[in-house]
Amino acid sequence: SKHPDPFHTLREVEILDAKTREKLCFLDKVEPHATIAEIKNLFTKTHPQWYPARQSLRLDPKGKSLKDEDILQKLPVGTTATLYFRDLGAQISWVTVFLTEYAGPLFIYLLFYFRVPFIYGHKYDFTSSRHTVVHLACICHSFHYVKRLLETLFVHRFSHGTMPLRNIFKNCTYYWGFAAWMAYYINHPLYTPPTYGAQQVKLALAIFVICQLGNFSIHMALRDLRPAGSKTRKIPYPTKNPFTWLFLLVSCPNYTYEVGSWIGFAIMTQCLPVALFSLVGFTQMTIWAKGKHRSYLKEFRDYPPLRMPIIPFLL
Amino acid sequence: MAAAAATAAAKGNGGGGGRAGAGDASGTRKKKGPGPLATAYLVIYNVVMTAGWLVIAVGLVRAYLAKGSYHSLYYSIEKPLKFFQTGALLEILHCAIGIVPSSVVLTSFQVMSRVFLIWAVTHSVKEVQSEDSVLLFVIAWTITEIIRYSFYTFSLLNHLPYLIKWARYTLFIVLYPMGVSGELLTIYAALPFVRQAGLYSISLPNKYNFSFDYHAFLILIMISYIPIFPQLYFHMIHQRRKILSHTEEHKKFE
Repeated sequence: SKHPDPFHTLREVEILDAKTREKLCFLDKVEPHATIAEIKNLFTKTHPQWYPARQSLRLDPKGKSLKDEDILQKLPVGTTATLYFRDLGAQISWVTVFLTEYAGPLFIYLLFYFRVPFIYGHKYDFTSSRHTVVHLACICHSFHYVKRLLETLFVHRFSHGTMPLRNIFKNCTYYWGFAAWMAYYINHPLYTPPTYGAQQVKLALAIFVICQLGNFSIHMALRDLRPAGSKTRKIPYPTKNPFTWLFLLVSCPNYTYEVGSWIGFAIMTQCLPVALFSLVGFTQMTIWAKGKHRSYLKEFRDYPPLRMPIIPFLL
Repeated sequence: MAAAAATAAAKGNGGGGGRAGAGDASGTRKKKGPGPLATAYLVIYNVVMTAGWLVIAVGLVRAYLAKGSYHSLYYSIEKPLKFFQTGALLEILHCAIGIVPSSVVLTSFQVMSRVFLIWAVTHSVKEVQSEDSVLLFVIAWTITEIIRYSFYTFSLLNHLPYLIKWARYTLFIVLYPMGVSGELLTIYAALPFVRQAGLYSISLPNKYNFSFDYHAFLILIMISYIPIFPQLYFHMIHQRRKILSHTEEHKKFE
């Protein structure tokens, strides 16, 4: 009999539930060069409630998820491939989550700034603060979130399309909650301006502006690192833009600049809730930066040894 | 919740030893467990804690017999209660350094809620110390902790009497709700005194543009019991089914 030609024979794919080992789907006449993405699409046809974004297919029930780009014939399987399926739960696109979580604070802060009724006493409804710093703070806060929204729409290139649906509730609670908490005090009729007056505000504003420019520069540099539609990963390096020179010392300067912006905002407003928000944000970003740093080290042998995850020389 | 907390230290032997070493830094083997030195330390820790809570139990009984009533027994066991409950903070450290395979977050939450009730409510608001609700949670905690720490002790020594395992996974059915009731009633009793004294509260204006209303905070804490307590309770019920039926099956094969 003929030897099976692995490059041309059509394959069979059976999909089993990773937990119960129940046979969920059997696909025959699958092209050997089919990708996991295509197999997911075929699986959705028989189980429409499991759209591709919520499918995790793997070779081993407890193993890692296969990537959408993986090709069937390159996997260690025979002519009949057995894949295990795990439901990732309802998914929502990253873009949707980002837009929602950033639009909230922008809007909420303004509610407090304009002192809409039922927040402060009725005699303060729609009044305006007499402190310059309060107006400046509103501009900075609003600018920050408008920048984030625009970056989400036009700058960022996401390597994952979706995340679990419950994340949007968690994330929005965090962003919206803190925004309301901060805005309440900064725009309060009994707000106390910074102890060192205009000097303090000017210094804080400078820190804020520099860090916002820095953060934006890093986002642009990261975008240019990855061509549209690709999922390649490369080591980021400093460019001609001086703000990107921070790449010499840290893996995630975008987070460094972000923390810096919020420290600037905290000094500007001299408001403890802002400082607490900065601290919580710093903690979370440090965790992310350490993770990113670790993946860089794992993936690239020649990764610059001087770099720290988020704070030069320290953290 | 603080009552529910300690019993719901998730896995069968959250106190330590015997299995799944979360602290295994190399990550190559899963079933490492704490080393001999850590095990010895944990045995001593759990024995001391068992003894401590027994002291509290005995103190309660003696005070009851001496006074002839169950009112205001708190004062007789105030010091050991504070000492041994606060000492449980070490358990957070145990998780953090990996000699106990429980989650740091979960353990912190559990211990902090107990410590909060002891210091930030009962100790701080003297007027509630004579309330009967205090006795309610103290009794619930005392029985729970004696069983829990002896459970850990025996687990570490790989000799766990079925009675202790049974007690740990059964008595909570009554002790949890009892403890939660005591805690909630105590917090509720503290409210008027907190408001009157402005305890732990800051108001505007001040130079850090911050305010904190401890009275409102306590009400929020009480509300948080609504989602949290059922989750912990049903988790323990689920654990009970898993662990006690598992043992029954093993017994059949002996």
